[in-house]
Amino acid sequence: MKTRLLAFGFLSPALIAVFFFFLLPVLLTVVFAFTNMSTSTGIMGGAYQINETQMGSLRDTEVSPESIEKLEGAGYLISEAGLAALAEEFGEDTAEELRDDYLGETFAARRDLERVLRNLDDPIRNTRDRKAAADLFVSTVIGERFDTAEDFRAALVETGIDPADHDLLTEFAYTGWTWTTANFSLLAELPSTMRYASNTAFYVVCTLTFNILFGLFLAISTFYLPGRLANTFRAIWFLPRILPPVLYVLMWNWFTWDRGFIATVAGWFGAPQQNWMLHTSTHAWTAVILINGFVGASLGMILFSSAIKAIPTSMLYASEVDGANRWQQVRYIILPQMRWPILFMTSYQTLSLLTSFEYILLATDGGPGRSTEVWALAAYHTALNNYGGNLQYGLGAAYALALVFIGIALSILYLRFFNFKELLSKPRIEQ
Amino acid sequence: MELRLEKFTKAFGPVTVIQDMDLTVGSGEMMALLGPSGCGKSTTLFAICGIHKMTGGRLYFGDRDVTSVPAQQRSVGVVFQNYALYPHMTAEQNIGFPLKVMRQPKAEIAKEVQRLADLVQIGDLLDRRPAQLSGGQQQRVALARAMIRKPDVLLLDEPLANLDAKLRLEMRAEIRRIQRETGITAILVTHDQVEAMSMCDRIALMRDGKIVQLDTPERMYADPASQFVAGFLGNPPISFLPARAGEQLAIGQSQVLPRPAGLEVQGDIVLGIRPEHFGPQHGQGLHGEVIFVEPQGREELVDVQLDGGGILRAILPTGDPVKLGDRVNWGVSGGNILAFSTEGVRL
Ligand SMILES: Nc1ncnc2c1ncn2[C@@H]1O[C@H](COP(=O)(O)OP(=O)(O)OP(=O)(O)O)[C@@H](O)[C@H]1O
Ligand SMILES: [Mg+2]
Repeated sequence: MKTRLLAFGFLSPALIAVFFFFLLPVLLTVVFAFTNMSTSTGIMGGAYQINETQMGSLRDTEVSPESIEKLEGAGYLISEAGLAALAEEFGEDTAEELRDDYLGETFAARRDLERVLRNLDDPIRNTRDRKAAADLFVSTVIGERFDTAEDFRAALVETGIDPADHDLLTEFAYTGWTWTTANFSLLAELPSTMRYASNTAFYVVCTLTFNILFGLFLAISTFYLPGRLANTFRAIWFLPRILPPVLYVLMWNWFTWDRGFIATVAGWFGAPQQNWMLHTSTHAWTAVILINGFVGASLGMILFSSAIKAIPTSMLYASEVDGANRWQQVRYIILPQMRWPILFMTSYQTLSLLTSFEYILLATDGGPGRSTEVWALAAYHTALNNYGGNLQYGLGAAYALALVFIGIALSILYLRFFNFKELLSKPRIEQ
Repeated sequence: MELRLEKFTKAFGPVTVIQDMDLTVGSGEMMALLGPSGCGKSTTLFAICGIHKMTGGRLYFGDRDVTSVPAQQRSVGVVFQNYALYPHMTAEQNIGFPLKVMRQPKAEIAKEVQRLADLVQIGDLLDRRPAQLSGGQQQRVALARAMIRKPDVLLLDEPLANLDAKLRLEMRAEIRRIQRETGITAILVTHDQVEAMSMCDRIALMRDGKIVQLDTPERMYADPASQFVAGFLGNPPISFLPARAGEQLAIGQSQVLPRPAGLEVQGDIVLGIRPEHFGPQHGQGLHGEVIFVEPQGREELVDVQLDGGGILRAILPTGDPVKLGDRVNWGVSGGNILAFSTEGVRL
């Protein structure tokens, strides 16, 4: 018991770190994904308010037209609150009279209310006073901010709105975030979803293929080079990996600008000046895949190189005296023994390509148009960086959550496909 | 096919490992390359199969000069010390690999694999991977793979080093049987003299990159060219005894042996006396005290400290009543005394 507690004590820093840096973000993503949080709702609670500009969208809801008309038409309403204010400024008698005859009545225009005030037994004579008095009864729903649902409902009652519509209106007026699955139905409906998904698939498959093949090519070709030369080559190909992404992409930008290296050289051969990265979507894809591909390939090269070096030399010697030429040696001896590192690179790169978007963000930012906008970048744009100004945290989290599930599904698929168990099985005989 | 090395030299950078070596292995002969660790046995083998380039000299398979032919085209079969089987292939695929890279038809390969598997007697293990085979079975697979191309020469690099004692005995006979059956020219690299003597037609004994003697096992044992050779062959090893040649051979302070016939020199020499040539069965003449007895089952090893200096080893049948500390007076088989100069040259 004691040792178990001790072990737990030793583990606790790691557990805390796992919780804060892994579990918590995932949990928050799940939570956010089921809300409609955005800049306008904030992430704390909200208030209740219906503005003039929202009347149009209110008509699209189930709220009955009469209630809407009342809300709109309720320009002036003889309410207790208004009467109290009136009593304070113009005397109890005036207020009393008005209450007796008109409590609960509404007036569409101020003129109508002013006429009533003038025709009282104890009229308000001064025109300016009448105006001020009428303003005390101005409708209390549209444009007004209520801190609690009760206040808002009370205002609805005063306005004389059909109680059947109260729930709908309260919901409509709420400005804070609410729980909802609308993000997911929205994702399912939006045509851009398909677009981002197919962009992502294209991007991942192409970059991954490039990564693995080029990484393998580099590893195998440097394996056959003499030592010093091989190391130099590896160092050069490792550069993309160790350059800061901003610098690395900046170099690409410089390379492809409309007055950059490619444009200049192509210009000598009469090609028109153009931005070689953003001219068409084909250009953009090529750039994006190469930029990410070189970074991934340099990691693959290192991993594959060490895997090749781990193959006993006697086995390579044996294949030579068995008559295998270089290509057959690669094909039959080296590649089959690289199954594990290739599996590892494939799954690792798939997941990191799915979720990382910094190079695309820096290079094309999803452009031209939305042609290189991948899923993770869309999530980022939706949740954290949006030209419209309204950052939709909830929708962005829904994007991210979809990515989490795709990642998990892919991992399982990979393990199945590469027959993970067999890879880990032990040899049965002593050596 | 006859194999001929002429003035073979091999250097790794500035270090010359083998200098001007000549070696001829007759057709169908099994030759042992025997020598202590680091003497250049593997280097010679790697040069013959083409993995290492020769620094100088020429190599012939029959009349064909293969000095600059790459390993792939040399028609050699090699069994490596650790077998170097391909772990991701079954035994069948391992054995068939040399034919596969020659792009032979599948049916042909299957037939040949079956033939070789029968030869090395692993017909029922063909679908196993190397990790599922015992050491001896792996060795048979390696042997079959080396032989499937019907190579001109078969090279074996310490093929028995990884096996336990019993298996080693079995495979020794097995390899020899297969070599005899196929009549292939073979070179066996080993540092184990018993292996070399029991398996091979001739032995090339190497030291520091040179062949110091090349002879049949029997002649090399009975008639070594130098003290090194005499000391390398024989188990239990030969005893060396400093002596002074005059009228007789003076041993230590007080004892003498008769001069063997044909020995001409005078002065300081070294005598080599094998354990089986010293003991009570050879009469009397040397006095000493038993200082070590090692029972070995059928026989026992006895070390005798001679009066006046020197130690001789004897091998006696078990049951001889010799105990530690006994005083003995044993003789030496005079005709079998080997004499060397103090520099180790045979006299
Ligand atoms: N690649 C190499 N570079 C430099 N020196 C080498 C190389 N290979 C072998 N040598 C040297 O050549 C000498 C002979 O080596 P080799 O492997 O032929 O010995 P060996 O007789 O096979 O010994 P062992 O019985 O231990 O296998 C050794 O001194 C070794 O250090
Ligand atoms: Mg060796």
